[in-house]
Formats: sequence, structure tokens, C-alpha cells
Amino acid sequence: MAIIRGKAWVAKTYVMSFDMIIQKYWTSPIDPEENSKWVMAGVDEAFNKENGFKNMGYTFIVAGHNFAGGGKSIEHCVTGLIGAGIKAVFATSFARLQFRNAINYGMPFITSKDINLECETGDELAYNNETGEIKNLTNGKIFSSVPVAPFVAEVAASGGLMNFIRAKIADGSIANLH
Amino acid sequence: MAMTITEKIMAFNSGRDSVVPGQLVWVDVHSVMTMDYLGKQCFKAFESLGSKKLFDKERVICVSDHLVPPPTPEYATMLNEWREIVKSYDLPYFYDLGRQGIAHQLMVEQGHVLPGKISIGTDSHANTYGAVGAVGNAIGVTDAAIAMATGKCWFRVPESVKFHITGTWQPWVMAKDLSLHIMGMMHWNGHLIYKALEYCGPAIEALDIAGRMTLCNMTVDLGAKNGIIAPDAKTATYLNPVQKGNWEMINSDADAKYDAVYEVDVSNVGPTVSKPDKLDDTVPVEQLVGTKFNKAFVGTCTNGRTEDFAIMAKILEGKKIHRDVNMICIPASQQVYLECIQKGYFETLVKAGAAVETSSCGPCAGIHTGVAGDGDIVLSAGNRNMKGRMGSKNAQIYLTSPAVVAASAIKGEITDPRSENW
Repeated sequence: MAIIRGKAWVAKTYVMSFDMIIQKYWTSPIDPEENSKWVMAGVDEAFNKENGFKNMGYTFIVAGHNFAGGGKSIEHCVTGLIGAGIKAVFATSFARLQFRNAINYGMPFITSKDINLECETGDELAYNNETGEIKNLTNGKIFSSVPVAPFVAEVAASGGLMNFIRAKIADGSIANLH
Repeated sequence: MAMTITEKIMAFNSGRDSVVPGQLVWVDVHSVMTMDYLGKQCFKAFESLGSKKLFDKERVICVSDHLVPPPTPEYATMLNEWREIVKSYDLPYFYDLGRQGIAHQLMVEQGHVLPGKISIGTDSHANTYGAVGAVGNAIGVTDAAIAMATGKCWFRVPESVKFHITGTWQPWVMAKDLSLHIMGMMHWNGHLIYKALEYCGPAIEALDIAGRMTLCNMTVDLGAKNGIIAPDAKTATYLNPVQKGNWEMINSDADAKYDAVYEVDVSNVGPTVSKPDKLDDTVPVEQLVGTKFNKAFVGTCTNGRTEDFAIMAKILEGKKIHRDVNMICIPASQQVYLECIQKGYFETLVKAGAAVETSSCGPCAGIHTGVAGDGDIVLSAGNRNMKGRMGSKNAQIYLTSPAVVAASAIKGEITDPRSENW
């Protein structure tokens, strides 16, 4: 069991992948450090400067419906958050393209009903990644979350899908994937 | 066990007799597409898995579409690095400038996607492949690299949602109008997240492959996992000269289970427009008649096909585009370009005052070939209209069909294409 504690940024409106990585940086190399410099630049004017989001020191993002929607499939959205120190995103629902990328990078995108309605930016949260419980230490509210699927947990434990596959190639079990 | 077409495809391509929604499967992919600005990273990630051997050279498809022709020295350099790495693998299917097109158009047009198979690509509109009865899915560099090495990709089998479309298409109403109508009905990325959208019914059977591509293309913008239309005789006729491999007819079982079934009578669907910033903020064209705009754009993986320019040419034949409107037309591939030249559509459009550009994603990606500036009001047949999509955040984008763009361009204000007998 691990409990992760930290400060949350709470989205007031719909967060689009298109704004998480603005067009200028779509062509950047996929690299957590590099992508974190401008991640979320289009989401809020306050983040629209180098390391603008990262320097805020958030550990969690809390959002409403369809986090990271709007259609982009680029992984920079997820690697940017990882590089910025985000340890988990809690939302009512996630857009599937970035949900998939998050799984592949072992980044917890955790579904939790209405959590966005009872958290404020700056609140201190504690996330128990075994029970799925999220506690808002600032206001005392407790939220449950949708359990992480076994495959998702396995990929995360491997350190991401690339490592998961490397291990399968190395031990010859890759052909058994079906 | 009764299954939907998407469930059957997930089962049969993962060595199973059946699957159920929610199940995790590793499927064999038929083809993997990547393109200019992510492609090099796909190859590098692939190489980091420890092998230089692709799962099948004929089924890794490389395309230059977002950055061609390069608008900046940085993009030109990026393209050169991309070419170098593709050439090092000696791939038979590299659609580079001169033989280019938008990836999703080429994947279907050149027969790289087949009914009953699964194809993936590193761009969100890979859903387009469902037009010929394939499961088409957008993935990131990680998934592409793993598929390039192993020929496999993981999927969670999605729940299916059926859209049964009946009735008769009104004149000048296109697949795009139905797509935007459903967008307004279901809301942008609403409760269709993760779902397989299946379009069927007599009004879908009546659609040509171009229209089916438009419909399936925009299912990603509904939040869906894939959009699919079962193959039929039209699919076979379309694919026969180009298909790279064999395939069999496949369809959903009559008693397959759906998460929801929606009925739409297309006779009641008129030309439809999505208002700026929000794709699901759609209205019948009548509500916007008279709205002025200064830029018009038809192209993209959504509406840059020969059939789209044909309907525009029909409307613009012998007419002039309004002096206050700059129109850009971009064919979705070199083949589309050539067909439109040979059939005289581009002659008509050029005579009417449209600029025709070489095939690329163009301003839809906000990168080049006519991006929008401050204060621009764009009437576009593209697929997304959030702030800044085509360039400036201070531009407005109305999305609609090529027919509405053509009719409106003559007056310089949004016009119902049914208002005249063109």
C-alpha cells in the first residue's frame, strides 16, 4: 500500500488535450522533462509560460467529465504531466485516447464520481493506491474510485507498456499474448 | 454467442471464438500507420525494443501529411530526418511529397485497411477505417512501436452502440450533416466515450464510401473508440482494385447486444452547422442564414474527397465566389487531386475563384496552407472548431458540409444549399 499526498489543481472547466499541449509543441520529442515545460499552457493563461504549470508544484489534477478530450492522440499530454510531477489525475471520466496513453505510461488516471465538485485548487489530497480511496485533507471529504483493472496495474508495476513488452520479449513469452 | 461486428473483429483477430465487452485482448493488427511528425519517434521507440526487424514491412505504412510541403526550415529538417529513417527500412509504402495524401485517405484509398481486420495509426482520425468494415483506431507512439515489432496491440473490447439510419437523403444533404446532427444529438465526447459506434440501415447502405468515411472519421470527435459500417457490395467494388490482402464479408449478428440503439430518419436531417468553439453546438443551417464569413475551407480527412469537390463544382459551376471570401480547397490525396482535375471539378472551382492547394492536412491542423488569423470567420468542412484549431485563438470556425461551404461562398454569408436549384 502506498499513500501519495500532495496539492491538487482543480479544473473549473473542461480540459482539452488540445490545450494541454498547444500546437507549437505537438512536434516536440516525447520526453517528460521537455514536455513538462509547456504542459497545460493552453488550459489557463497563468500556465502559459515556461514551466508555468510545473512550478506550481501540484501532485494531483482533479477534473470533471472527459478529461483530456478534444481528440488528440499524442502522448505528450501524459508525459508532460509526468514531467511536471503529477502523480495521479482524478476525474469523472476520461477521453479514451489519453486514458490509453496514461495506461501505457503507468500514470494513474482514476475515475471518481463528482470529486471535482468537492475539491478546490490548493487542497491537500491523500490517495491510497491500494484501496482507491481519495481523501481531501483540507475539507475532510472522502471519495471512492473505480478499481484499476488488473492489466492496468500490471503495466504500471512494469514501469509502462514498453518495459512490459521488453520483459515479454526477453523471456520469450511475447508470442503468448493474445 | 451473438456478437456485434466490432466484437467479432476483436475475437477473430485475437484467436478467439468470442469476446465480451470489457474483456482485454491482444489482437493481431493488419496494418500500422504513422506519419511525418511522430514517425521518427515511432521508429526510435521500436528500435528501443531491441530489434530492427519490423513485423511486416508491407504493413507498416508511412505518410507525410501534416508538414508537407514544409512551411518552415525546422519542419523541412524534421521531414528530412523522417525520410532518412523510413528509407533505412526500405519500406514499400511510403507516401511522401509528390505521392502524398492525408494518411487516413491513403489507408483506405490504397487498400491498406480491410473489412474484418484491425488497423491502427498515430493520428486521432484513424477511426475513418471503419468505412470499409475495419476496426480503425488511433494510438500513441508506444502502441505503434510495439505493433511495429510484434504485430500486436491491446484493446479493451468496447460496448457497441447502434445508429440505425432510415429514410431518404434530401438533396444537398451530405454524410457530414448527419455526423454533425448526431454530434448535436449526443453531445461532444458525451456518453459515447469508449463505445464502438455502428452505423447501419438503408440510409447508410445508400451512402458511397466517401460518405461512409466522413461518418466514421468523426466518431472520434464523438468520443467513441471506433466507428464502423459493415462491408457490402459497394465496399467490395471500391476495394477490389486496390486491396492489399484478402477479406471476407462480416456483419453483426441479428441478436447481438448493444449498449444503446438510436434511430435517426435522415429525411428529417437538413444541412447542419456547428457553431464556433464547440463541436456539439450544432444547428440547422436555416438558423444561421445570413451570417457573414471571410474564409472558406474544404479539405481534410473528413471532407477532402472527389465526391466532396464534385458537389461543390455542381454548385459553383459558372458562379463566382464572393469578393470578400478567400476559399482554399485541398484534396485529401494526390489521387483525389488527379481525379478532380480529370473530371473538371478543379477547373470549375478555380474559375469560380477558389485557391487549390496540394494535398496535406493543411490549416485543419493549424500548421500551414492558410491558417486563420485574428478576427477571421472561417466556414470550414473540417472536423474540429475549438479555439485556435486553425491558427489564431481569435478566429471563429463554423463547421459544415462542402455543399454549404460552396453555396455560402457565392453570397459571402451562410446559405442553405437547398435554397436554389443549382
